[in-house]
Amino acid sequence: MLGLFGTLNLASQSLQAQMTGIEVTGQNLANVNTPGYSRQVVQISASPDILTSIGPEGTGANATSIEQVVSNLLNSQIQSQSSTSGYWNAQQSALQSAQDALGEYLNGSSTSSTNSASSTGSTDTTGTGLSAQLDNFFSAFSALSASNSEANQQAVIGAAQTLAASFNNIDSQCGSLNSSLNSSLTTQVASANQLLTNIADLNQEIYTEQSDGGTANDLLDEREQDLENLSQLTNITTSNSSNGSVNVTIGGQTLVSGFSVNDTLQTYNPGNGQLQVRTATGGVDLTLTGGSIQGTIDARDGTLATLQNNINTLASTLITQVNGIQDSGYNSTGGTGNTFFTGSNASTISVNPKLVNNPALLQVSASPTTTGDTSLALQISQLSTAAQSALNNQTFDDSYDGTVAGLGSALSNANNEATNQTVVSTNLATQRSNVSGVNIDQEMTNMMTYQQAYEASAQLVTTVNTMLTDTMDMKTS
Amino acid sequence: MRIATNSYTDAMLQQYSALLSQQDTLQSEVSTGLAVQAPSDNPAAMQNALNYISQSAAQTQYSANITTLQTRANNIYSVLESLQSDVSNASQIATSAVSATTSSADLTTYADQINGLINQVVSAANTKDPSTGQYLFGGTASGTAPYTTTTNANGEVTSVTYNGNSSVNQTAIGPGQTISVDIPGANNGTTGAAGLITNSQTGADLLNHLISLRNDLESGDTAAISGTDSPNLQKDENNITYQVANNGVLQTQLTAAATSATSTSNSLNTMITNTAGANVINAMTQLSAAQTAYQAALESGSKIMSLSLLNYMPT
Repeated sequence: MLGLFGTLNLASQSLQAQMTGIEVTGQNLANVNTPGYSRQVVQISASPDILTSIGPEGTGANATSIEQVVSNLLNSQIQSQSSTSGYWNAQQSALQSAQDALGEYLNGSSTSSTNSASSTGSTDTTGTGLSAQLDNFFSAFSALSASNSEANQQAVIGAAQTLAASFNNIDSQCGSLNSSLNSSLTTQVASANQLLTNIADLNQEIYTEQSDGGTANDLLDEREQDLENLSQLTNITTSNSSNGSVNVTIGGQTLVSGFSVNDTLQTYNPGNGQLQVRTATGGVDLTLTGGSIQGTIDARDGTLATLQNNINTLASTLITQVNGIQDSGYNSTGGTGNTFFTGSNASTISVNPKLVNNPALLQVSASPTTTGDTSLALQISQLSTAAQSALNNQTFDDSYDGTVAGLGSALSNANNEATNQTVVSTNLATQRSNVSGVNIDQEMTNMMTYQQAYEASAQLVTTVNTMLTDTMDMKTS
Repeated sequence: MRIATNSYTDAMLQQYSALLSQQDTLQSEVSTGLAVQAPSDNPAAMQNALNYISQSAAQTQYSANITTLQTRANNIYSVLESLQSDVSNASQIATSAVSATTSSADLTTYADQINGLINQVVSAANTKDPSTGQYLFGGTASGTAPYTTTTNANGEVTSVTYNGNSSVNQTAIGPGQTISVDIPGANNGTTGAAGLITNSQTGADLLNHLISLRNDLESGDTAAISGTDSPNLQKDENNITYQVANNGVLQTQLTAAATSATSTSNSLNTMITNTAGANVINAMTQLSAAQTAYQAALESGSKIMSLSLLNYMPT
């Protein structure tokens, strides 16, 4: 039998167990808004029975452990989806910037009202980018062919300057974007290396805490968060060691093994200025298939590179074709020798300063003696509808419109993938939250349960104390 | 099903964000009338819209070119009218000169009148385009005066020199369609545009014919006047008449091209609207629905957020 003192001890253990429950509840409530926090539950078990002559008798209850409520399956899925999500978010961000750099949007002002008989509003729609500048350029030459006036000569030079400036601007914007993406790669690799170090350190701390017989719930949460953050940056595979460590492999290279970081990531310039990623010590080029690092590389080397290349080809073809016609001609005084465009691509294209200063030097006559001839202006204006072999037998407009659509298509695809990925990630996060997240109502209920149990145990102490007093009083009376 | 407290707050935030984004998109559609504004909105529609806009810009330029040519054709027509009058007067003088009642003094007077007509024709042939300041009838050598004259001691024009050429500038007035309203002063070849003053294909040579007539009037050679000068002037009159008629034909073509450009431009604008335009009424309706949903989400969210077991626990 436990006797009065045994029962008092039982009550004390119960008070301790319920108090632990209150403490865990407090911890859960305190972390209700902590990202990645997994709720904890206290495991209370009945203490071992003791055998008595009338049968086994309970000895109360003990708080045996504090456990996390986690789903390893969901954690694994979230890690995997984080990598995909990171990839498409990086693509989306880079391509959105590329679209802004191109600056090709439609402008419109609605002229309809809700009272309109037509359900579709009529608009005066114009382009805002290079497309409109190309149109203006060819139109200016067309006007010049109709009337070789000073105003039309000036208009040609003005349209050409605006067009050249648009090319320069797009090239500059794309170049800046390229530099930003390279900088971003460096930053992301640094973040990944920091996370690799954190994970190795956490492996050590978790092992130490668990070796001492404790639980490392919060550290496990922290490591899970780091793994997910690392997955956002690059695709990783993980494996668990028997000592509780998580090993991390990236691109086939095991970078975290147990408590140490075997190697880190490093950006390097392969010679063309476009940073790639390899292992810092081993120097192994990494083939990544997901994460924002690879998303950034793919956007830079794929769609953005194609955009820059197409714009450059467009500019160089325009320079070649226009100069080929204009430079063969004669100006209004029969003079020659002034090329129209200087430069060779989108970054260097410019209108010959001599023509800018004196538009009358435009060479649109096919003969030195027929200075009123504008046949070359007509020829240049007709370039707008001429297929160019350098542009895959497309016209300037068609080629550029195709480039715009190509970029739009890539961004649209990235938007859709990112949106879909957000839905998947959100669903998984919700599922995990429903398993591991804190519910205030539940915690408050638990708190009342523990509180009432604590009150009951305290009442038991009071009762046993009274009984002990009564027993003592029996001796003294 | 167990739900974490933050699950529904996260879900609510996402719903608010989605509804705000939807309202932003719809508001933009209503205010601009465009469902497609960026390439990523609808890449294929954007490509088509840009193509249509380029075609529309070309049509606008065709229209501007047509206006320029119409103005020039009108200027040319004014000169033609003047020349028609001059040739007619010269013919009448030639006819009067061979009349039996014409005296030698009359012939001298007629010769003076022809001298005046010669100067008028030279002046007309050297007319400049007011918009460009270039000569209308110099062909593509329009930087110098088409006709220069040589005069004798009496100030009479004894010969003329054509400084222009027989080429004319072509101007685009439609896709693959070019036209020229220009008339060279002279065309001594067998092809190309008919010359205004001299046209070897028809034998017209107005200034030299007038000089010849003047010389014959001064010398009293009525046989030459009736036998040579009058028939030559008839050729010149026919040439001017042809130019007037041709000017009319060209103006008709320009009017037709202008109508076509306007019509094509309107069609292209419709295609642009159909391709990239928003259905404004639908957008307004959807915007209203989205606003209602947003309001409902905010209200329901705030009610849910304010509720928990804490509200019912004794303090």
